[in-house]
Amino acid sequence: MPVTKPAFNLMVPNRVVPALGVLALALVWLLDVGSIQPNRIVPGTGHGLLSAVGWLGAGLVTLTLAASILISVLPLRRRYSLLLGVVGLSLAALPLLLDMFAGRHLPEASPYARSTIASGFWCLLFLLSLMLIEILSRLRAGRALQLMLLVLIVGSWLVLLRGDGLASLSLVREFNARPDKFEQALWTHLALAFGAVAVSACLAFVLALKMIRSPAWQRPLLGAVSFLQTIPSLAVFGLLIAPLGALSSAFPLLQSLGIRGIGWAPALLALIAYSLLPMVRNTFVAITEVPENLADAGRGMGMTERQLFFQLKLPLALPVIIEGVRITTIQAIGLTAVAALIGAGGFGGFIFQGLGQAAMDLVLLGALPTIALALLADALFTMLADSLKPTPAAT
Amino acid sequence: MIELKHVTRRFGNTVAVDNINLTIETGEVCVLVGSSGCGKSTTLRMINRLLPHSAGEILVDGEDVTAMNPEQLRLNMGYVIQGTGLFPHWTVARNIAMVPHLLKWPKERIDARVEELMTLLDLDPASHASKYPQQLSGGQAQRVGVARALAADPNILLMDEPFGALDAITRDNLQMEMLRIQKQVRKTTVFVTHDIDEALKLATRIAVMDQGRIIQHDTPENILRHPASDFVENLVGKQDRGLKLMSLRPVRDLMQPHAEPKHSEAGEGGVNEEDSLRQALSVMLWKDLPEVVVFNARGLETGVITRASIIQEGV
Repeated sequence: MPVTKPAFNLMVPNRVVPALGVLALALVWLLDVGSIQPNRIVPGTGHGLLSAVGWLGAGLVTLTLAASILISVLPLRRRYSLLLGVVGLSLAALPLLLDMFAGRHLPEASPYARSTIASGFWCLLFLLSLMLIEILSRLRAGRALQLMLLVLIVGSWLVLLRGDGLASLSLVREFNARPDKFEQALWTHLALAFGAVAVSACLAFVLALKMIRSPAWQRPLLGAVSFLQTIPSLAVFGLLIAPLGALSSAFPLLQSLGIRGIGWAPALLALIAYSLLPMVRNTFVAITEVPENLADAGRGMGMTERQLFFQLKLPLALPVIIEGVRITTIQAIGLTAVAALIGAGGFGGFIFQGLGQAAMDLVLLGALPTIALALLADALFTMLADSLKPTPAAT
Repeated sequence: MIELKHVTRRFGNTVAVDNINLTIETGEVCVLVGSSGCGKSTTLRMINRLLPHSAGEILVDGEDVTAMNPEQLRLNMGYVIQGTGLFPHWTVARNIAMVPHLLKWPKERIDARVEELMTLLDLDPASHASKYPQQLSGGQAQRVGVARALAADPNILLMDEPFGALDAITRDNLQMEMLRIQKQVRKTTVFVTHDIDEALKLATRIAVMDQGRIIQHDTPENILRHPASDFVENLVGKQDRGLKLMSLRPVRDLMQPHAEPKHSEAGEGGVNEEDSLRQALSVMLWKDLPEVVVFNARGLETGVITRASIIQEGV
């Protein structure tokens, strides 16, 4: 029987989604989904899927996963649209599972008792996300759809987490105990990371231009920024304490600006130092790799060096420069967490506090937003670089 | 007019161009030909000051180029290079408009000029203006390169192996195109190539270069008939000079014209007035004919040409 090619491709069963689905089914039944702690420090007692959410919840989870496995292997016409609906909705509704769990197991009378997310739930979340990524790539989803989905899922999580049902969740409790501090940490984290990236981007641009103008500077400058990168981050933070402390006690003006041996000033300096290498290297390479025959043509047609730079070199180099900014930003967001050690603030504060108090949920309260910020920055800069791509693909 | 007087260019200790004298008259096509490293590209690039000359004088319309602002000088010289050098992030229309933009022409004038040039170079403005260079074929891209060079109607055209990277058929098409356009616009052209056939086809005068010196500067016919040295003789080819000479002359020169152009069935053995004697001879040899009819550009039969006349007088 003759089969046209696109229709045939449509009927090819997906292998990734069922594999992930089976794994998710196995893990969610084998591992604990949640646990109940009588108070913040005492280890909790774990509950498997059935015990945690009862037949109703367990049935729903199993049915959903089974449905997505079936949809991906049965010969269906709109396979991936259906899958997108099922998986997207499950991801958005996932906190309801925790709600059910807390409702069934949380003892009414003990105000310190809290519910905690256990490994089975994390696995489910992770595997569902992988399924979603696979489905989106199969659908060749545009940016608008991806963004809409992200807003839908994150929005539903935020709404559900702020609701009463999940108030007992330890992560929510840790947040509710310090909402002001959380907000402050968010702004400090953003200010430090993006401040460092902005300053180093400007600095790197100037340095890269200097290297292009006078090639004699290339080796020493690249050497210097590479050297900065090789010092362990904690060592830089430590090394800056003494000189900045001395400066600050010598000049009261600096002190009044908040520049001291510890705090935001050394953190910012260290972050800038770390950001320089990828930034300088990418900017330099991007601008120097503009083909010489193009510059030759432009020059031969009567362009000045300035016109060549702004009309030819910079537009062609921009996506690579943005790529440098992207790498640097992700790195800076991660490093800012460590900067909390010298009192710079940010989400790292919660992580180290949590570690000190053996309160894993406080650690998560610092770690999860850091991860989210990094992912968000990654997505934003990837989008920016794509939209600045100067040329369409060759046909 | 471009004059090079005792021009020398040294790179460190090596002499790339050695004390050359060359005068290129207004409106003529001067082809610099020679093997790679002979100094032909260096000579070209000294004319628009992409390279400074080490000694001597270069005059454009009587004015010393070193006294001029290099950008101003180049804005009045079209420049075409091998591999086009089109900006990949600009559309075809924007690429062609490069120099008019630099000269700050008003938008309407630029648009009109771009359309005019695309039509001149046989590129459909409607379908090609908003394409990007990498969406074009090699031949189309080089047409855009030529259009870009002609955009601001410069007096001088510098072409550095412009058709070197193209396949034989496309190259041939573009050479014919260039002859056609040159008839219309009459630019003073300096054209660099290593291909002697290209030089013979396009040049009004050829300068043969070797090791930084000009060995011979003369018309294609004189280069073929009286090569100045063994080097030139080898370059033009000892054995097939007869055929090369034939390819310089059009059929019109030797045909026996009819009293009146007449309509006729377009015979299979016909040639065109503008075709070369070499082509006419080839047709006759292939078809085993003693003579063929000649048509003009409008398809009217204007005469006949005989095999005997080509063999007696063709060379």
